[in-house]
Amino acid sequence: MSLVSFVETPKNASHTMRQAILESLDLIGFSFRKETKNIVIKPNMCYYWDNSTGQTTDPKFVGTLIEIIREKTSSEANISIVESDASAMKCNYTFKFLGYEKIAKQYGIKLVNLSEVEAEPVKVMVRNQNFNFMVPQIIKNADLRINIPKIKYMELTKISCALKNIFGCNPYPKKFKYHSRLSETIVALNNILKFDLCIVDGIIVSGIQPRKLGLVMAGQDPVAIDAAASQIAGINPNSVRHIMLAASEGIGSPYYIPKGMNPHHFERKYPKKRLKHKLMTRGYKLIQFLGLENQLEY
Amino acid sequence: MKKVNLGLIGLGYIGKVHLKNCLKLEQANLVAVSDISKKALKLADKTGIKKTFTDYHSLLKEPNIDAVIISLPTHLHAACAISAAEKGKHVFLEKPLARNSEEGKKIISAVRKNNIKLMVGYPFRFASAFHDLKRKMESGMLGEVQIAHAINVSTGPFFHRGQSGIPRPVPKWWFKKELTGGGALADLGSHMINLTRWFFGEVSSIKAYLGHRFNFDFEDHAICVADFSSGTKAIIDVGWFSQILTLGIELFGTVAHASAYHSSSSRILTAVQLLLGKTPKIYMPHRLELQHFLYCIKEDLQPSSNGDDALKDLEAIKQAYENQIQLQ
Repeated sequence: MSLVSFVETPKNASHTMRQAILESLDLIGFSFRKETKNIVIKPNMCYYWDNSTGQTTDPKFVGTLIEIIREKTSSEANISIVESDASAMKCNYTFKFLGYEKIAKQYGIKLVNLSEVEAEPVKVMVRNQNFNFMVPQIIKNADLRINIPKIKYMELTKISCALKNIFGCNPYPKKFKYHSRLSETIVALNNILKFDLCIVDGIIVSGIQPRKLGLVMAGQDPVAIDAAASQIAGINPNSVRHIMLAASEGIGSPYYIPKGMNPHHFERKYPKKRLKHKLMTRGYKLIQFLGLENQLEY
Repeated sequence: MKKVNLGLIGLGYIGKVHLKNCLKLEQANLVAVSDISKKALKLADKTGIKKTFTDYHSLLKEPNIDAVIISLPTHLHAACAISAAEKGKHVFLEKPLARNSEEGKKIISAVRKNNIKLMVGYPFRFASAFHDLKRKMESGMLGEVQIAHAINVSTGPFFHRGQSGIPRPVPKWWFKKELTGGGALADLGSHMINLTRWFFGEVSSIKAYLGHRFNFDFEDHAICVADFSSGTKAIIDVGWFSQILTLGIELFGTVAHASAYHSSSSRILTAVQLLLGKTPKIYMPHRLELQHFLYCIKEDLQPSSNGDDALKDLEAIKQAYENQIQLQ
């Protein structure tokens, strides 16, 4: 079984973030290799909302991790923060909007729009469904890939964390087209883009509203991370299609050994859906089923 | 009674609101729509609009169109409004009038030369909550209003798509100050300056603090301090940083204080209204402003707000940009 660490950082300050990140890595026994040359970091930048909303990774969190990486590896290692354009979001604006341009300047790292870099075609099959993706060379050639997702609710997949964040590594910008088979797409991408480490920025999470949860969670198995994230958000991982599908495809295991704090401590604080929200979600799904969702736009 | 034949130019976010409202107006026929996007025009096709154009000049050549609604990006306002005026069409133009007062004056000159009506879309003058508040103020029950606080904080152009919560694309022009004429102050500030002028008279002086939370060269929030001809002093707060809309005015008089907010109904009620084909509360002022425009055409009246009125908003915004308050 995989290890997943749970660490609490009481204040949103760089030094406590640093301690929390280091402790979360120690607990899973992860150590950086000195000879690492090319490092790719994938935060969550889903839209033009900053980290105060709980929907995007805090650039300060990424900056703190970069400081740690610089100390533990060669100071000359190439570090790139990667993201791709999406149906509603243009990466080049997001880098600026969310404060990543400042981080890049401060730490001398690159910001890479995956929709604009060299990529090679790869075919993959999940549950008898064929997918053709372009895999960015920068991810393929990296010798350390780090995923820094958020924990948040998402209507289409119930929960978004480590596995869903890799959806943003697909350079194709019109991602809306994958929404009809999103779980399969997420699993297909995780099949071909294996990340070595996942550190969840759960300092502010997005449930039914944002909440300062102060959680740093680390692991090397994205399925275990997602199972833990689901439990914290009050969702049974067995009911999350992409988690179960990823497990059946051998990407990882939903069973894990918790290290550090008890995950229930965070589960109690997570702003979970109540009956009203669940009924509203059901109502919206019914409207979708009846093909009336366009009528909800004015 | 003869109906007014309308043409709609631009089917972006607010253009779609106008499209739906036009279809509900008893005093008008929406006869043609134009937009550069064929995908957007398909939406108009579905509603039964007979004529669609990808070039607004073609729409303006239609002889049976009496008036046009222009809901294009701000940098296109002047060229389109002037062309419409030259073709003798009455113009309903989305706010702000233009990117700057120079462009605004050119529009007004074309409107006067061609003797047509120009209304600039400031819907919150038609919100019932603000009407009631103004009536209360004018009745004297608040005494003299010494201080006011007007606020319009929302997502700005960075908003989610209706009920589903899926992010909506932001058109590129919103990121270019030279195309918008400014940031949140030009966008939301124009609404609130127009609204406070309606309450308190002309702006005598105005200063602004401009904030840049999101690291762009345009401001994403602003705090203005304005002095009005009535003697009222107002703080006007605008911002693009919040996921929730707060739009309101608070009045502090020598006798009493009062406030009014324009807001959405609950999500459930809004969804029910939409499914029943009704205008949701949040867009009712947009419908009422079009009714007012049509009434002014029929009765040969000056609309609220007309070109001169909207030019004063632009000049106040210019003054606010020029008189910046530094907080650090």
